[in-house]
Amino acid sequence: MPEPIYLDHAATTPVRPEVLEAMQPFFGPRFGNPSSLHRWGREARAALDEARERLATTLGAHPDELCFTSCGTEADNMALLGVWRSRREHDGRNAAVATPIEHKAVLGALHEVAHEGGEERLLRIHASGVVDDASFDTLVDDSAAVCSVMWVNNEIGVMQDVPALARRAHERGVTFHTDAVQAFGKVEINAKATPFDLLSISGHKIGAPKGIGALFIRRGTPVSPLMFGGSQDRGRRPGTENVAMAVGLARAAELTVAERVEECRRLAALRERLEAALLQSIPDAVIHGRGAPRAPHVTSISVPGTDSESLLMALDLRGVACSAGSACQSGSITPSHVLTALGVPADLASAAIRMSLGSLTTDDGIARVAELFPALVEKARRLATA
Amino acid sequence: MRERVLVAMSGGVDSSVAAALLVRQGYDVVGATMRLGCHTDGEGDLPDRPCCSLDSVNDARRICEQLGVPHYVLNLESAFSRDVVRDFVDEYARGRTPIPCVRCNTFTKFRDLVRRADAIEAQWIATGHYARLDGGELRRGLDPNKDQSYFLWGIDRRVLSRMLLPVGGQTKAETRVVAHELGLELIAEKAESQDICFVPDGDHAKVIARHLGADAPSLSRGPFMRPDGTVVGEHDGFARFTVGQRRGLPGGFREPMFVVEIRPESRAVVIGPRSELLGRGVIAREVNWLVDAPAAGSDVEIQVRHRARPARGTLLRVSADEVEIALDEPVAAITPGQSLVMYDGERVLGGGVIERASSRVLPVRAA
Repeated sequence: MPEPIYLDHAATTPVRPEVLEAMQPFFGPRFGNPSSLHRWGREARAALDEARERLATTLGAHPDELCFTSCGTEADNMALLGVWRSRREHDGRNAAVATPIEHKAVLGALHEVAHEGGEERLLRIHASGVVDDASFDTLVDDSAAVCSVMWVNNEIGVMQDVPALARRAHERGVTFHTDAVQAFGKVEINAKATPFDLLSISGHKIGAPKGIGALFIRRGTPVSPLMFGGSQDRGRRPGTENVAMAVGLARAAELTVAERVEECRRLAALRERLEAALLQSIPDAVIHGRGAPRAPHVTSISVPGTDSESLLMALDLRGVACSAGSACQSGSITPSHVLTALGVPADLASAAIRMSLGSLTTDDGIARVAELFPALVEKARRLATA
Repeated sequence: MRERVLVAMSGGVDSSVAAALLVRQGYDVVGATMRLGCHTDGEGDLPDRPCCSLDSVNDARRICEQLGVPHYVLNLESAFSRDVVRDFVDEYARGRTPIPCVRCNTFTKFRDLVRRADAIEAQWIATGHYARLDGGELRRGLDPNKDQSYFLWGIDRRVLSRMLLPVGGQTKAETRVVAHELGLELIAEKAESQDICFVPDGDHAKVIARHLGADAPSLSRGPFMRPDGTVVGEHDGFARFTVGQRRGLPGGFREPMFVVEIRPESRAVVIGPRSELLGRGVIAREVNWLVDAPAAGSDVEIQVRHRARPARGTLLRVSADEVEIALDEPVAAITPGQSLVMYDGERVLGGGVIERASSRVLPVRAA
């Protein structure tokens, strides 16, 4: 079999060698607990502080505005639930708002708000994938505690106008969170320029390991902790800090931001070539969100008369890794809630294949997929009509 | 190039060993676990089921990892719900006793899954059933205690030539031994799943209630009666009964009483002594042949229950969709909704869904 092709960078990315190297000492001699007063502790503390500073720099943030978490999901939960619980208690705002195309980490937390007696509100989304302004103005009102809108959608790559939405939320006194797990390294993120209050990132999408994420919390933002225990991270996030991974995340973030403009240009060109080739060979294929501003690394394509499960298997057995909608724990595919929210018909939604480009993507790989995918599609359609 | 086979894997010992044997025989094995909606991913009111639960999916995945072959989870929920679960509920509502496993084999495993096999260019499809294939014909499993051919009569005859049943030629005990030999300790001593996968704790009334409502006629009170219409008691829903059942019937009779008939239009459960349970013939519909259909007048062996001793009979009538068989000796508890399977010794000829017992007089059999 020819060299396998990994087109699933939105799912996860390989750990960068520089990141691995930066983390190495903390699995060895610099193993200390940053809370200890002795030399080992001080060394670990220094590394952790430095990691926080470096990560903050990549976001235009103050170091104390960053909280390391175990993953993007934890960051999203902390933002939604933490703000909602705090504001409900202190100023009686009882609603939380999000889009229906959020990651399940946000939707799950939003649902927990409802479970705890709050009000769960979902914004309307245009067929293009962009948030409907009118519904934003209606739902993000003075009874809302927090509003969460993802910057770049993980399934279709559509970008929201986060700066404008954050400002509009503030006009109503609503705390604004954005899940930037897919946006980091793809759009310019600067906490000084854009008035979001909270922002989530995840390490393993940008070349750090799985098991580390971070939540930016603007100074003065009310957030109740999710966990209770020690006083780590000002009591916002008790538990001994994962020093090695924090160092890794900071390093990955620095590299990613430094390469952002160049890498985005490269990925955008590759994706354009891929989409043009696929649309030429499969004229009735639908590329979701193509009419809206999109991050350069995701393409979501549905071919009428196929199903994603069979296509993904066939691609995998040819060495090409893609994904469909959200995979559940058992690994089976359920129709994407994102495409459903966009009003994509069920048969088309259940045919969606997401290809996501990144560091492992090459010209040659794209050329091969542009050839293989239409061939597999043709075969699948032949079988469907047989 | 090695021939590719898609193996339906439940995470149990039979399908795991089937996959392992095929790997050993040199096939390009691809494992697949069907998600049929009977497990819940930790949500809903159904407990985790033994057949396609998350644990079972994980077991199948672990076995595939051990065998070094890819594993996929296939979401066949909506088709399964339509073709199998819905029919199950409707049949009970009509006073019949369905076998969902038959329809799952017919429509889900050996139709929908075959399409997935086509999609990945797998020429073969394999399962862990105890039945055998020989020259394009289906035969009973070697182990008479495990023989599952009764459940396989409905599959498209054309699929037989693409099927592999690697454990059908061995006993269950041998399968477990092979599992140990192959190092499949994870599943080698796993218990058999006895329940229907989407019926938790064997409580089929609960499934019916979920689909039709707890106040559905089939779950509501009705009379126990004798065949002549004499009411002898009251029951709490005819769907809770099946022909041949003794449990839950009113007492006070000289002989043991059985359910002999269910009359859904009057919600009646008709009871009678063993003599009234015997049928001299049987009519079946939705007939499917796995060989060229035999002519009327042919002798056949039949089974009207899984693991029942085969009975001898004569094909009275064979039409496109219906057969009628006259039995040499009366057979007890011929139950509408169950399967009539026709055999010639070890060969499975075909089968159908029992419509009812028939009372046509036996033709005189030549000596």
